[in-house]
Amino acid sequence: MATISIYSWFQSVYNYLLSLFWSTELDVTLLGLQNAGKTSLLKVFIGEEFSPDSIPTVGFAMKRVKHGHVTLKCWDLGGQPRFRSMWERYCRGVNCVVFVLDSADASTFETAKTELNALLSKEALVGIPLLVLGNKNDLPASIGTEEIINILQLEQYKDRDISVLSISVKEGKGLPGVLSWLISRKNSNK
Amino acid sequence: MSALTYKKNDDIESGSLDKMTVFQDCMSGFNASPIMPKKCRLLLSKLAHLLSSGETFPADEATALFFSVTKLFQHKDPSLRQMVYVVIKELAPIANDVIMVTSSIMKDVQGSNELIYKPNAIRALCRIIDGSIVQGIERLMKTAIVDKNPSISSAALVSSYQLLPIAKDTVRRWANETQECVVAQKSFPPGALLGNYHIGVSTLSQYHALGLLYQIRAHDRMALMKMVQQLSGPSTSLKSSNAIIMLIRFISRIISDDQNLRAPLYVLLENWLRHKSDMVNLEAAKIILNIKGISEEEATPAVNVLQQFLSSPRTVYRFAAIRAFSKFAMVQPVLISHCNIEIENLLSDTNRSIATYAITTLLQTGNETSVDRLLTQINGFMNDISDDFKIIIIEAVRSLALKFPTKHVAMLKFLADCLRDEGGIKVKTTIVESIFDMIKYVPDSKDEALGHLCEFIEDCEFTDITVRVLHMLGVEGPATSEPTMYIRYIYNRVVLENAVIRASAVSALAKFALTDDKEVRDSVVVLLRRCLEDVTDEVRDRAAVYLKVIGLDKQVAESYINPGKDYSLPVLEQELAQYVSGDREQFSTPFDMSTIPQITEEQAKANDFKIKSKANHEPEAAKADIAKEQMERALKEELTQQTYASTLASIAQFTDYGKILNSSKIVQLSESETEFVVSAVKHLFKDHLVIQYDINNTLKDTILEDVSVISIPDNEDIVEEFIIPIDTLSVESAGTVYVSFVRPTGEYPVTGFENNLKFTLKEIDPSSGEPEEDGFEDEYQIESLSLSASDYMIPTYAGSFVHQWDELRFDETFSIRIDAADLQEACTYLIETLNMMPLESSDVPVSTSQNTLKLFGKTVDGVKTVVQIRMIYSASNGVAIKIHTRAQEEAASALVIETFTN
Repeated sequence: MATISIYSWFQSVYNYLLSLFWSTELDVTLLGLQNAGKTSLLKVFIGEEFSPDSIPTVGFAMKRVKHGHVTLKCWDLGGQPRFRSMWERYCRGVNCVVFVLDSADASTFETAKTELNALLSKEALVGIPLLVLGNKNDLPASIGTEEIINILQLEQYKDRDISVLSISVKEGKGLPGVLSWLISRKNSNK
Repeated sequence: MSALTYKKNDDIESGSLDKMTVFQDCMSGFNASPIMPKKCRLLLSKLAHLLSSGETFPADEATALFFSVTKLFQHKDPSLRQMVYVVIKELAPIANDVIMVTSSIMKDVQGSNELIYKPNAIRALCRIIDGSIVQGIERLMKTAIVDKNPSISSAALVSSYQLLPIAKDTVRRWANETQECVVAQKSFPPGALLGNYHIGVSTLSQYHALGLLYQIRAHDRMALMKMVQQLSGPSTSLKSSNAIIMLIRFISRIISDDQNLRAPLYVLLENWLRHKSDMVNLEAAKIILNIKGISEEEATPAVNVLQQFLSSPRTVYRFAAIRAFSKFAMVQPVLISHCNIEIENLLSDTNRSIATYAITTLLQTGNETSVDRLLTQINGFMNDISDDFKIIIIEAVRSLALKFPTKHVAMLKFLADCLRDEGGIKVKTTIVESIFDMIKYVPDSKDEALGHLCEFIEDCEFTDITVRVLHMLGVEGPATSEPTMYIRYIYNRVVLENAVIRASAVSALAKFALTDDKEVRDSVVVLLRRCLEDVTDEVRDRAAVYLKVIGLDKQVAESYINPGKDYSLPVLEQELAQYVSGDREQFSTPFDMSTIPQITEEQAKANDFKIKSKANHEPEAAKADIAKEQMERALKEELTQQTYASTLASIAQFTDYGKILNSSKIVQLSESETEFVVSAVKHLFKDHLVIQYDINNTLKDTILEDVSVISIPDNEDIVEEFIIPIDTLSVESAGTVYVSFVRPTGEYPVTGFENNLKFTLKEIDPSSGEPEEDGFEDEYQIESLSLSASDYMIPTYAGSFVHQWDELRFDETFSIRIDAADLQEACTYLIETLNMMPLESSDVPVSTSQNTLKLFGKTVDGVKTVVQIRMIYSASNGVAIKIHTRAQEEAASALVIETFTN
């Protein structure tokens, strides 16, 4: 027992020293229509329980996610129509933008396409990597990544850094992939 | 805050901050990464300083600032967060989309860092949300209200207060939590903020809770009463002095709304006079003295408490006490006259405000003999006090002048001295108005007062005041012994002043031309001719018009230059507004000026005096309200008079009766819930009396036909002429019966009328809805009506009672005992019965045992009548009065006496 605790103590000291020299902060903006699962995704990232009913975000909430020596500053923006005009303000100068889509609700696809394309056409976002997440892939009606690319008409942005992942926040599927994708963008332009 | 930060703040204070620099610094500082909390906090304070010193940003810049401030939520530093909240509250009204921070703030409200985050977050939250979200934060607010930490609870309570305008119904649902908070005693958690706050039981949240609870319950008087009773009982847990003071103020509001609750609530107030907190004692005493119509027994304990405060070593207590006294002195000076010694000591108080109030109080409580001494004392420090206090003193002297007309010499001298001293336009206006009042109501002072005014305008920098004085000189000057002197002063203005003053000086000059003295008239004409050369149109035009008019017949000239009466301005305003708001068609007929009632100068004076002396007796600064109320009442009366006149004029039988001389108030002749509700109005014409009976048929199944009123006078001088009946009075409708009588010209018979309603009654057949063929005749007795002095008399103002008294003959005296609880009640009764004007403030008895009431009035035919009533009160015998009357004609004095004998 004692050896283990000494070991873990060394480990933490090592991590601390490491964090002094290599600690990095990443600014990440989470967007998407209401009820896509943005706030839930963050909750699971910081280690809270998933709960199916959460209160809609009014405005934005800011959360920090620590992963190793990387800290993600996540700006979780409200998805209701009244807040969409303000997304752009929180996308300026961030390291990456995450767009969450409810891949099981076909009725939202059209609006999602319009909103995302409108956002991508803004000058402030040029050069910022985009990660599109198709959430709720545990549901039978959910669609795959290929279809998401089609529906959101993402093939027109050949020269931008855009990835699409299919995940399920509820079951925890695909989340490590999301984290590693985000962390790998720490060296992208800032 | 550390000493360092204070120093930086000082720099901000002294240096000038450039708005754009601050804006740029903020934008780059807040968006930087990583955040530097100290630097950002300083930037935020600069921003807050700019905003609080009146700078504003356009909406787009404010919004940009706001959103960059929201970026600071990523840093957890408590002192930075505190400042973020301050700035968010400042920016909330000018920036767009502030709703954006709702979730972030709510996170703080729910979070764990209680003392800095929570209260500040709650306060900011309520500034940024709109009505639609209030329901969403309901649970949050309820929890915060009952939080055991007083600062969180207070923040939630005060914020709920702010939410009332946007979400009244939601906030009302928090009543239970608020109630709980009123009675709770909360303490700061031990050791939470050592050294900075005093630690122990804090009761301030009770104060906040009580304020909110009142807002929630204000519409429901029963709930309010329950609240008051609960909180004021002997076992109350209301500990905060502030909260008790607020409760006392609520009680005062309840009392003024509903006099019936006065007795039980007074007991509560009196108990608070003995509360251990001085603040509470003062407030309770102040409120007690403010209650309308307070009796001597009720006031005494409060007066005693305040008396003790008068000699308190603490300035603020002395000030509060003397201020309460000075207000009360306007209402019932007698009750505090025994404190005069203490009050006189305050005259030499180093605090000038206290001394000022002491003077105004003494001016009210003192008697005639002390006036001179007081005036000299005031003169001593008039120069040391601010304009506002000068006005207070001048107002006091003014009301004193109306009260003791014999002391006018000293008071006029005092006012003239003030006029000569430095002072702003408000002070000068007040002084000039006071002198005007003396000219109007204290005739003996006229010559001297006019002299002072002349001297004043020789060197007056305020155009408005000069114009008013010139007008006054024009009105009063011609009637004086030496009009030429005033002409000289007025003409000086024509030579020396600006156009506005020159024009009004011309108008004033023209009034002097109406005199009979040819020499004066000629010289005025010469002066006016010179004005024709003036550079300004207005001045030339006025001079030309007046020259033309003066050349006409004297009476015609007078009707133009000095008509002696004026249109009733409120009525005129209303009619004109109605006319202008009409459609195009309405403009095809010109505006009918003849419908506007005219007011003679005497009537206007009587009204004015009434308002002025009434206003002086009212506590509180509600004087303006009272004046307005009086105006409205006067206006309403005028309008009813007008409707009477036009209705009666439209009836053929009355057309040759001439003008209505007087219409009485409406007299109810039956209970309001009987089958037929009858009321009557008496109209007096030159040779006739017309009684108008308004009859309301309240039955649902019966109609009345041939409705008339059989009215039998018990005086033979009044002879019935004819009745105008109502043909049919259908169900639930109203109609009017007129009964006309001949009255002897120039006499004032006093009489009663026996009244009987006579009609044919027909029931309505419920099946057909038609009235039945046959009805039956019926009579219905209604109450009798009397015709007495109050119908014949019109209250009129006279400057000097003695003067009128000496002038009139036809002496009559009469003694009687009347049923009244005290002298005040007797005065009110006598004034109402005789419908005459009380002079020289004789309607407010100074002593409780005896008083002399002096009344003046004219009969409907214009016969002057004076009445002097001596009254003596004793507890065993009630009020005994001796009436002594004189009039221009015998009939009028007989009328006064007969009113009491019948």
